[in-house]
Amino acid sequence: MDSQKFDRLLSKYAEVVVQVGLNLRNDQRLAIRGILEDAPFIRKVTESAYKAGARYVDVMWTDEPSARIRMEYADDEALAEVPDWILTRYEEFYKRGDAELVLNSSNPDLMNGIDPDRVAKSRKARYEKLVGPLRKYENDANWCVVATATPAWAKKVFPNLPVNEAQEKLWEKIFNVCRIDVPNPVNAWKEHTEKLEKYRNYLNNKAYSALHYKAPGTDLTVGLPGKQIWGGAQESFKNGITCTVNIPTEEVFTAPHREKANGVVTSSRPLNYMGTLIEGFSITFENGQAVKINAKKGETDLQKMMELDENASRLGEVALVPNSSPISQSGILFYNTLFDENAACHIALGNAYRTSIRGGADMTEEEFAAEGGNTSLLHEDFMVGSGEMDIDGITEDGTHEPVMRQGEWAFEV
Amino acid sequence: MTSNNQHQELLQKYAEAIVKVGLNLRRGQRMIIDNAVAQGVPPAGRALVHEVTKAAYAAGARSVEVIWGDEVLNRIRLQNAPEEALKEYPTRLVDSVLDYIKNGDALLSVYANDPDANAGLDPERIGIATKTRLEHRTEISALITRNAVNWCVVASAAPAWAKKIFPDLKPDDAEEKLWQAIFETTRATESDPIAAWMEHIQNLIKRGKYMQAKKYSALHYKAPGTDLTLGLPQGHRWIAARMPAENGVEFTANMPTEEIFTLPDRHRADGTVAATFPLSYGGSLIDEFSVTFENGQITKVSAKKNEAILQKLVDTDEGSKRLGEVALVPASSPIATRGHLFYNTLFDENASCHIAIGRAYRFTLAGGEELNDEEFNAAGGNVSLNHVDFMIGSPQMDIDGITKEGTHEPVMRQGEWAFDI
Repeated sequence: MDSQKFDRLLSKYAEVVVQVGLNLRNDQRLAIRGILEDAPFIRKVTESAYKAGARYVDVMWTDEPSARIRMEYADDEALAEVPDWILTRYEEFYKRGDAELVLNSSNPDLMNGIDPDRVAKSRKARYEKLVGPLRKYENDANWCVVATATPAWAKKVFPNLPVNEAQEKLWEKIFNVCRIDVPNPVNAWKEHTEKLEKYRNYLNNKAYSALHYKAPGTDLTVGLPGKQIWGGAQESFKNGITCTVNIPTEEVFTAPHREKANGVVTSSRPLNYMGTLIEGFSITFENGQAVKINAKKGETDLQKMMELDENASRLGEVALVPNSSPISQSGILFYNTLFDENAACHIALGNAYRTSIRGGADMTEEEFAAEGGNTSLLHEDFMVGSGEMDIDGITEDGTHEPVMRQGEWAFEV
Repeated sequence: MTSNNQHQELLQKYAEAIVKVGLNLRRGQRMIIDNAVAQGVPPAGRALVHEVTKAAYAAGARSVEVIWGDEVLNRIRLQNAPEEALKEYPTRLVDSVLDYIKNGDALLSVYANDPDANAGLDPERIGIATKTRLEHRTEISALITRNAVNWCVVASAAPAWAKKIFPDLKPDDAEEKLWQAIFETTRATESDPIAAWMEHIQNLIKRGKYMQAKKYSALHYKAPGTDLTLGLPQGHRWIAARMPAENGVEFTANMPTEEIFTLPDRHRADGTVAATFPLSYGGSLIDEFSVTFENGQITKVSAKKNEAILQKLVDTDEGSKRLGEVALVPASSPIATRGHLFYNTLFDENASCHIAIGRAYRFTLAGGEELNDEEFNAAGGNVSLNHVDFMIGSPQMDIDGITKEGTHEPVMRQGEWAFDI
């Protein structure tokens, strides 16, 4: 890719993020979070945002090597300290209904070799200080999560290429699976989201009471709340803006009932949990609760993740993605949930989206739980789908209907 | 050309000197690294920040936090944001630094800025954004000017900055040459940088003591384009290289530093002074300028380049029309003798005698920390959003000290110290 072509694609990508991902409004502010390696793309997004009428774009940068140095050397107690100003900063933007863009381009191996206890301690503090208190704003205003091809991540995806080539190749894949390398990306996104909405509507009409997953290592029944809402492609926020919160996105998803998962599920792809890879793992559920785990790699990290709080060992999301999705077809393991979750059916441990249960946004935590919704500081997707997976929808009267066969949609829309 | 290993070793020695001499970081202290002008440390400062962070942890730092910024984004904003929205300033940029200062922690500013970051942009729009930043950071400035905590300003080489200084070199060579200049002027190239710093600091302190004992009532500057008398208020304190902070830590606020400085009387500046260096101010270069004073107040500015930006600076507030610092640096300082400009005040001010428009440091007046703004102004101090040094010294400059009785005594001749210590 010559540099002019790259620059053109990067600008188009920024346009898609601002127009489709955020659907940014005139005079909105935009808060961005990214790592320093995201700078070339963040500059493009900032330009697009101002051209779309943005009032202010504030970028809060993270430097990954600095984060690692801190994890290596900082005082043990200081690791659990999260300064107040970070919470204040988020609140400042969230309370006004400003838009937010999160760049998710981290080095999957950033924390390799660091004492997992220290990593867990720091994460737990951030979850408690930030993720928990800020979750109440998640349906207020338009937000979006995207990624850029950063060197360390690219090298992880294409370990046999020199870093420059790896980065270029990852960019090509991102432009491809995010529908940027087509003549009119914004139109292509319109067609795509309309298609996803049809699958979503079909499942909402069916109102299945459970899903049954069958694949090698997996035999799992996941009960659904009854008031579940299947979402996907686009979300609508209280500030009146509808946008596509993940780019790429290939999924339709809803909330499972927190007490009705039974059986065993085996991951079909590794999970990158905040810089640590967890691979080849299975989880057994009884009445919604994980009762047994094992993992070929990162079992301790998985254990710690699921001990984050009481409900981190229950499910908060089920998502359906056909095995023929462009991300799956790329044949690439991205080591990045934003991409990998769009290559395969997945489920999430931890928090359920309030919008996945009818009336959920206005319920108390107890009411939400009574409807089957799970509340946790954690929300971590992991991949379970493959070309060998069959999924049935189970109706209220116990009839099984095919939803997916061999990883593909088993119904027409 | 130095090898990578040599470069890395020098970077580590520099980082260690910053932590041990500059900040004199205490075990258990936290440290925040920032850059007010760029809204955070530019990415070009990463390598130095990483080494400083490691050196800080080695010295027992409790934790280190870095605010990062990007001048390119600031430029995009200045070009594209709606004009009234240029008055926005995210609270995080203030809250973060205050969180540390108010807790008695250390503050490090790392420059890696492009002197031309805002070149060609509308001075009106730059002016609005700059004033907004200064207004929001008033509390931080006030705490720093009274040395509430140990703080230090240092620089990292950066591609755009290096290109500005060495336009004829290839980018890599220019950057390496700038690093070399930084390492040499900050004594990182000495076999024992920390010992070298301690000796240097002692020499500067002796100069300061001499001037302190003289208790001159004014200084008179004479050079081509310059004929200026600056009153020194009663109780003015000469400061050299080392200061105690209110948190009890002795520190060196700038690296490099070659100056001794004190407080001019805000009511007593008369005459004209010609700048001898271009001034890098908020991403714009102001060049070939002179400033005229009457009774302490600036009555006229003229500049060949960016006069409008200079005028905006002077018009920021009442205190920006008056002086807040007077500093003496011999023309033979190791920075001056390098023979090139740095387009960066941290370096250029240590190549030349200079004065500062705007805010005075409270600690340059005996008891200044205890005074409110009105009392400080009445005693000859100056309160302002700005503190902008500009260079006036040269080998053609003579400076006299004027005693209470009106006797003139030589302080500098042809840019060099005129007294022995």
